Amino acid sequence: MRRSLPAATVVVVGLLLLLDYVVINPTLAALADLLLELLVLLAAGAALAGGVALVLRHWTEMVGRRADPLGSVVLLVGFAAILIAGLYPGSSGSTDPAVRWLVAALLAPLIASLFAMLFFFLLGAARRGLALRRRESSLMLAAAGVVVVLLLPIGGVPGDWLATAASWTLAVPIGGVFRGLLIGVAVVTAVHATRVLLAVNGADE
Amino acid sequence: MNEPDPRPWRRAALAPLALVAVLGVASFVRPGDSGGALLLANPDRSRVTELRVVLAALPDQPLVLVGLDPDLGTYAEIRTTVRAAFDDLRRRDARLAIVSFTPEGRAVAAAELDRLARTGFAQEALLDLGFIAGAEAGMVRAVTALVPVAAEGSLAGAVREAGGGMGAFDIVLVVGGGDLGPRTWVEQVGTRLPGLPIVAIAPTFAQPELAPYLRTGQLAALLATLRDGAAYASSVAAAAGPPNVPNESPERVPSALAMLIGMLLALVVLGRTLLASAWGGAGSAGPTETDGRHATRSPRAAAERAPSDEPVADGESAANGEPTGDGEPVEGPE
Repeated sequence: MRRSLPAATVVVVGLLLLLDYVVINPTLAALADLLLELLVLLAAGAALAGGVALVLRHWTEMVGRRADPLGSVVLLVGFAAILIAGLYPGSSGSTDPAVRWLVAALLAPLIASLFAMLFFFLLGAARRGLALRRRESSLMLAAAGVVVVLLLPIGGVPGDWLATAASWTLAVPIGGVFRGLLIGVAVVTAVHATRVLLAVNGADE
Repeated sequence: MNEPDPRPWRRAALAPLALVAVLGVASFVRPGDSGGALLLANPDRSRVTELRVVLAALPDQPLVLVGLDPDLGTYAEIRTTVRAAFDDLRRRDARLAIVSFTPEGRAVAAAELDRLARTGFAQEALLDLGFIAGAEAGMVRAVTALVPVAAEGSLAGAVREAGGGMGAFDIVLVVGGGDLGPRTWVEQVGTRLPGLPIVAIAPTFAQPELAPYLRTGQLAALLATLRDGAAYASSVAAAAGPPNVPNESPERVPSALAMLIGMLLALVVLGRTLLASAWGGAGSAGPTETDGRHATRSPRAAAERAPSDEPVADGESAANGEPTGDGEPVEGPE
């Protein structure tokens, strides 16, 4: 019973939404809308619960001086700053100037800086990789070097050649591998979804 | 045998610091200094032409829905393209409604709405549809019910009169990079409203995923590389002429020279690391910590270190995934 109830819920909801997608019927559409509203509420509730759990966890770690108390303090201060800026009396929420300033002047530059340091992190990881698996890491570094060469922003005929080669590389080998991965993931997802819809698990096989 | 460096961290820290310093200097180089030998824009303008043809086919004062859900980390790559698209749409007297389905996207949307207002975009031609929760479920709901109850103004009224859903719009411009990007729009909105053209701007990493949708026509146009974005921004700037908005510097295309300097440095560092590995020496790499112990970077380094440093037991070394004394790296447990 404990296993079949969630499976039955998934089957019923999935079939209803699927039917609404292929059949034009006002009653069915209204039912599907109601289900979607419930899903949105569920997602909002899950996000809220996640936020509360995060705060509780870091509060506990900060008070108990476990793990990384300084990191917990930073997280809680940041959390509070955004909440206060977005919820103080008279605030206009996410469009409030205080929230916009926090995002534009602090959050966005911080995340962009972290992303800009990706090269250094990758280089560090590559060095460690060379120590452990020389062949694979060398191949990865060589491929990275080739990509950088192809993207060099130079003009003239060499630039045209590089741009053409870069487009071909992106469209053919990289695109092929990427699409193969996506198709594989899609097939596995479809199989898993079918198993859930049919309530099939390992014990049934 | 060489004397060990008593302060190896100095050498390890020098290269990254030098790289940061040069990149910092390079970032101040303006695009005008690049000269004719440097070119960031893609010489193949087919992607730009596709987008401009789609936009040119729009009716007068088109209603454009902008799905703004980029990732803050990669938004810097496409920001110039996105702002060029806004400029392009403004010149076509478009009316924009901006919606986000991710919190990050909402943060970017708030900033871009503020910028659009500052740069002279008519307030009555802008509609903030805010953040819609619920990810894909929220997007599906928004197909038929998009305008918030609190939304006011002539544009909100026009959308309500046309049904209040996404079908009221002439085109959708999706700015991707986050979890809910152009692919989700094609899957959730394109299948429900097949007559609604969707064009997309996305970072390069998303290009292999999105290119098939462009080929099938599910995306009417796609700009998903820095080069295509630069080509589009250049074409919009060339069509517009000098900026006429006071107190607002025009959005600059990234400097080709600054990028070239950074990329050449990256190549030098990559090449040095590779060569150091190929020659079997420690090369430029400083001491590397793995699980709290010093990891050898090459068989030769391992052979040199083992007698003078702590002895390396074969079993222990293999268990940690380090190269053993016979020169072959052994994979450790995952």
